[in-house]
Amino acid sequence: MKHSKTEIHPYAKMYAEDAIAGKIDRREFLARTTALGVTATAAYGLIGAAAPAHAAGHAQQGGTIRMQMEVRALKDPRTYDWTQIAFFSHGWLEYLVEYNNDGSFTPMLLSSWDVNADATVYTLNVRPGVKWNDGSDFTAADVARNIEGWCDKNVEGNSMAGRFAVLIDEATGTAVDGAIEVVDDLTVRLNLPASDITLIAGMADYPAAIVPADFDPENMTGNPVGTGPYLPESLEVGVKAVLVRNEGFEWWGYAENRGAFLDRIEYIDYGTDPSAWVAAAAADEVDMFYETVGDFVDVVEGIGWERSEVASAATIVIRPNQLAEVDGMQPYADKRVRQAIAMAVDNSVCLELGYANRGVVARNQHVGPMHPAWADVPGLAHDPEGALALLTEAGMADFEMEIVSIDDDWRKNTTDAVAAQLRDAGFNIKRTIIPGSTFWNDWTKYPFSSTNWNHRPIDTQILGLAYRSGEAWNEAGFANAEFDALLAEANSLADADERREVMAKLQGIMTDEGVTIQPYWRTVYRHAKPGIVGWDMHIAYLPQMYKVAFAA
Amino acid sequence: MGLFILRRLGVMLLTALCLTFIVFWLTNLAPNLEKLAKTQGNARMSDEAVVSWLENRGYSQALPVKYGQWLGVLPGYVIEGTDGEVRARCQIPGEPVEDAATFCGILQGDWGYSTVFKDEVGTIVATRLGLTGKLMFWVMMVMVPGALIIGVLAGMREGSRTDRSLSTVSIVSTATPEYVSGVVFISVFATATFGMQWFKGTATSAMDDATFENFFLPVMTIALYGMGYIARMTRASMTEVMTAQYIRTARLKGVSFPKIVLKHALRNALIAPFTVIMLQFPWLLNGVVIVETLFNYKGFGWVLVQAAGNNDIELLLGVSIVSVFVVLITQLISDIGYVFLNPRIRIS
Amino acid sequence: MEALTWTGSLGGYLNPVLMVLLALLAIAVVAQFVLGFFAAPMTLQSNPDGTLEARGGALGMAETGVKWTFLASLAVVIGYIVVPLVMPYGAAGIIGEMSKRFLPVWIALIALFAVSIYYKRRLGLYGKLFDSTIGMIGFALVMFWVFTALFVGLFDMILTHDYLTQVSGLKNKVPGVPVPEGTEGAIPHYLLGGDNLARDIFSRVVTGSVFVIAIAPLATIFAFMVGITLGLPAGFYGGKLDTVLSFVANLILAFPVILLFYLLVTPEIVLTGIPSYMAAFLFVFPLIFFGVLLNSRYYTQPAKRNAIMIPVLGILAWLYVSVINQPGTVIDFIGRPVQPLYFMPINWLSNLTITLPAWFDLFDITILVVFVSVVFVNAPTVFRIVRGLTLDLRTRDYVAAAQTRGEGAWYIMLWEILPNARGPLIVDFCLRIGYTTILLGTLGFFGLGLSSESPDWGSTINEGRKLLLIYAHPALPPAVALLSLVLGLNLLADGLREESLKD
Repeated sequence: MKHSKTEIHPYAKMYAEDAIAGKIDRREFLARTTALGVTATAAYGLIGAAAPAHAAGHAQQGGTIRMQMEVRALKDPRTYDWTQIAFFSHGWLEYLVEYNNDGSFTPMLLSSWDVNADATVYTLNVRPGVKWNDGSDFTAADVARNIEGWCDKNVEGNSMAGRFAVLIDEATGTAVDGAIEVVDDLTVRLNLPASDITLIAGMADYPAAIVPADFDPENMTGNPVGTGPYLPESLEVGVKAVLVRNEGFEWWGYAENRGAFLDRIEYIDYGTDPSAWVAAAAADEVDMFYETVGDFVDVVEGIGWERSEVASAATIVIRPNQLAEVDGMQPYADKRVRQAIAMAVDNSVCLELGYANRGVVARNQHVGPMHPAWADVPGLAHDPEGALALLTEAGMADFEMEIVSIDDDWRKNTTDAVAAQLRDAGFNIKRTIIPGSTFWNDWTKYPFSSTNWNHRPIDTQILGLAYRSGEAWNEAGFANAEFDALLAEANSLADADERREVMAKLQGIMTDEGVTIQPYWRTVYRHAKPGIVGWDMHIAYLPQMYKVAFAA
Repeated sequence: MGLFILRRLGVMLLTALCLTFIVFWLTNLAPNLEKLAKTQGNARMSDEAVVSWLENRGYSQALPVKYGQWLGVLPGYVIEGTDGEVRARCQIPGEPVEDAATFCGILQGDWGYSTVFKDEVGTIVATRLGLTGKLMFWVMMVMVPGALIIGVLAGMREGSRTDRSLSTVSIVSTATPEYVSGVVFISVFATATFGMQWFKGTATSAMDDATFENFFLPVMTIALYGMGYIARMTRASMTEVMTAQYIRTARLKGVSFPKIVLKHALRNALIAPFTVIMLQFPWLLNGVVIVETLFNYKGFGWVLVQAAGNNDIELLLGVSIVSVFVVLITQLISDIGYVFLNPRIRIS
Repeated sequence: MEALTWTGSLGGYLNPVLMVLLALLAIAVVAQFVLGFFAAPMTLQSNPDGTLEARGGALGMAETGVKWTFLASLAVVIGYIVVPLVMPYGAAGIIGEMSKRFLPVWIALIALFAVSIYYKRRLGLYGKLFDSTIGMIGFALVMFWVFTALFVGLFDMILTHDYLTQVSGLKNKVPGVPVPEGTEGAIPHYLLGGDNLARDIFSRVVTGSVFVIAIAPLATIFAFMVGITLGLPAGFYGGKLDTVLSFVANLILAFPVILLFYLLVTPEIVLTGIPSYMAAFLFVFPLIFFGVLLNSRYYTQPAKRNAIMIPVLGILAWLYVSVINQPGTVIDFIGRPVQPLYFMPINWLSNLTITLPAWFDLFDITILVVFVSVVFVNAPTVFRIVRGLTLDLRTRDYVAAAQTRGEGAWYIMLWEILPNARGPLIVDFCLRIGYTTILLGTLGFFGLGLSSESPDWGSTINEGRKLLLIYAHPALPPAVALLSLVLGLNLLADGLREESLKD
């Protein structure tokens, strides 16, 4: 690696000062500095801390892990919409970069990267010595081809295009000419038309799997060319998927001491019903879970399993859509109606009934204490009588609100809890459940519905995705010029303290406009039986099975 | 007799054609296709993307044309998509489009390709049917002897206390749908609530290795619902036989009661239950779906739920064909069997 | 507030007694069963002195033992229900409190039985029901739920809490748990505990009965109307009509019910409007049925016919329009202008626009699709039964007599054949309500078409089963409720069959 302290990005040093001064937390600091090309070890060094030791010393080579997980069909990685798909494919289709629980980005198929001062030129250094499992070398051309693929908006359902939007030419829907430049066999340079510091984070996300040149998404298991240490042995959607070690293939990670300890990884599908997972655990049919939800945390611990938990910014919003028309009018366009809805709901009750108190109560602002520039802005007080009065004042006391949700465990329960509280407050409520297979057809258009949102490391990210006027995922139909202007200002402020002042205004608008009910932040859990290491729950559910091993 | 079977087979084919066309029509309605595109492409796809996705994969053709292709009487589509890729209905994944056959439908033995499971429909249906077959085998092993014994015991002395109590038992069992008995069984025998944690509440591991512990509850759940009905039919037929002249003659001759039941009555009393057992097969499918959901056993019923939930058109059609044929064939067997077993009935 | 135990202070006396009695009963039953194999098939023996003698010996003792221990256990069980009515709140435990909540139902049941038994000789087939123990038990079970549904649905009695209110702190709590101070409700306990969303299970189960009791018989009646209206001519005329109708019926019957539900009861299908069209088609049959029924009877007296038919058909048509009209679907014309004669060739006629006022829509069936599907799968079976009966009955003398009199075909079918087929049809009607209840539960179990908060038993069982391995108490009460209702209907059908065969 060519990094030394002298080459460290100027912003990184500034962030380090912030971190030492306590202005940004460690996770935020690591996320930002490593995204700028600083290695995790170096980043820890900047703030005078030691990087956490790898579990490798305690790991035992070999063995079979059986993991409870929904087994989904493979498809073009760019179109992945479930991390579970990546849990299977990451055995042979690896990533350039990896995002970790401590917020750092560590290189995988890249050995390092540099970002220039205004984040317009990225230099990606390809890890030397990496080979595809068909024997050919992994080179800069492969990286460039994959990035071009990510930038192809014409592929239906390509979500990578959103992460690499800055590189895409709106007219052709493909990468801007000259933006992706192969400098030599081991170097790729990205020339951005505008600055963007989130590209590295995009490369670490689960749809960013690196695929070979003659990749055929229709025949992924039949011709599993990749760079990873495993090969797919079998895949029965909804039943079972098995990864086995690619014997004889010299994976680059062995030399780096990265792991891939297990000989065999079995993913077994026990359906969506958590009690079936517990039954499987009790019967010793699985060794670990993909995720443990709500009520079942205690139950699994009751049978002696170990817990791993991460407090995340994953959450749920139950929002009225301000633009939605019901019977020829826009019931939620009136601010008073939205405020009344927010005032009638006690967020702590939602947390209790919806998620078994496994999280932190939130204030309907979709920015929280885990975010660096969060400001301590109070939410609306819980006041059911006041809420009804406000609703009556708005002339909507007789209006029947239909609240839609998906049909799973915690999302449905939380929405039910909201519905029940609104009904208690005297609102006229109708509750509708839509099965998971159809719910997402219209998820942004339902007049009043719930949606789960995943963890995003930086405070402004989610506000930009979900609340900026006209955004595709703006499910609340929220359009506010002042909000947009403040958000743009916040995005330009690197310093957390400076940004916090703007954030306070943004959070104030979120509260005052009653944009959404965002009752709690979820803590996410995973359980495994004793004697396994490296299986920690990942904050963003990213697959890192090469770290898992039986304890020595 | 031969003509009778031929005519029945003709009606069967016509029924199967009509039913598959109905399923085809229902699954190809516009909102269902949109759902298909979104589950297969990307859940958060735009409307334009949905349209091009469907066009590129031949879903936008006219309904009779699509049905003809599925049957194999019309050539499979070859469409150059808006994304420049050429797709053919008969293309085998991993092989070039040019090698694709012209026809590929049911008539060619090609059941199509499942969009959810990414596998041949024929393979999926065969595997899952095998697993359900295993379940059904044990259900039959429990249900048929159990029902016959109850029915014969109840019917041999009509009006006795044994008859009354066994008849009540059979009524209770017919009044207990699978989702009630399954839930009761699991809470009693698979949880610590009542201190009788004897069996497992999931049958997932029974797919590879069925043991008494993990297979008993699902088998009992299905068997119980059907058992009462068959037992009542057996009882009715048994009481009828017991009042017949030849039985009375035997009793007057002084033949012992057990001998009368076993040697004289039983054979004739079992004709009616036979047809009932055969007609019970289609009903069992209902139970199979519920029990496989409840116990997480991935057989045919589970495939049905998955296919219907995801609008996996060709898989759903495959499933319908199989279940419709099970219904029709059991009807046919029960008719033929009835004729063979009962010499008094002749087909006119 | 302390938590309630199952039987409270009453249990201290009754529980041991019941245990002993049940143990004795079990021993006696086993003894009787085993000895029964070795004994001669004789029950009563008449002695020369005119007395009757029951079987003696070990078997006789076992039989007597079964009888008395059974009656004694029954008495104790009744004690659990009756004694608490005079005890103070909470003293008799959960069972006692439930018995008190059901007090109106007990009174109604006793009144109904007293009246019915007193007048049973004058009440025809219904009265004969009270000669059969099985039939009475079945009738009692069915009426228990009917009365519960009536009291809950009309007067808000019986239930203790609102069935949708969630009370913080009561999530998945065991039966008899006290509710926090200040919670609204008739009593300060959750009798059967709280469910996964901290709602009162007892109240949900009794509220669920309203749903079942309202939908299942209604859907069955509709299925019968369709089946009878089509089955009678199919059986009577035979020929092509019969062939076509039978083929269609067999077509629907060959469809696995569950597959049909999965195909029909989805939001997508509702979007296309198919259920609305099916409703428009299926629900027109009662209109046809009553129209033909009355017309065939009174067509010789047009004045009388018009006097009866116009109001009857008018009301039915109004109901019909209200039922099939559903806001937001393809059939939604109330409160907005429609052009009923749009397809007329004459220009001014097709431009005629009328507006039906909103009050015209009496009620909304929010689960129209569920209703339609249940009618749809039941109708073909009824059709087959009616057709079979008609085939049999059309050769009877009274049909020939009516034909000789010159009566019309429909008169013969509806006023001669149908009344004579009523016995099997009534029995099948009872069984079919039970079957419909099971079907509705199946739909709830798969979460098809019903709201997630719906208290119907199928949905609650489905909700409860998800946590079954940890908390069994939310799933069991609705399961037992559904079982008892269906069992009651089966027993009732059995009793009716037995009694109608005695005719």
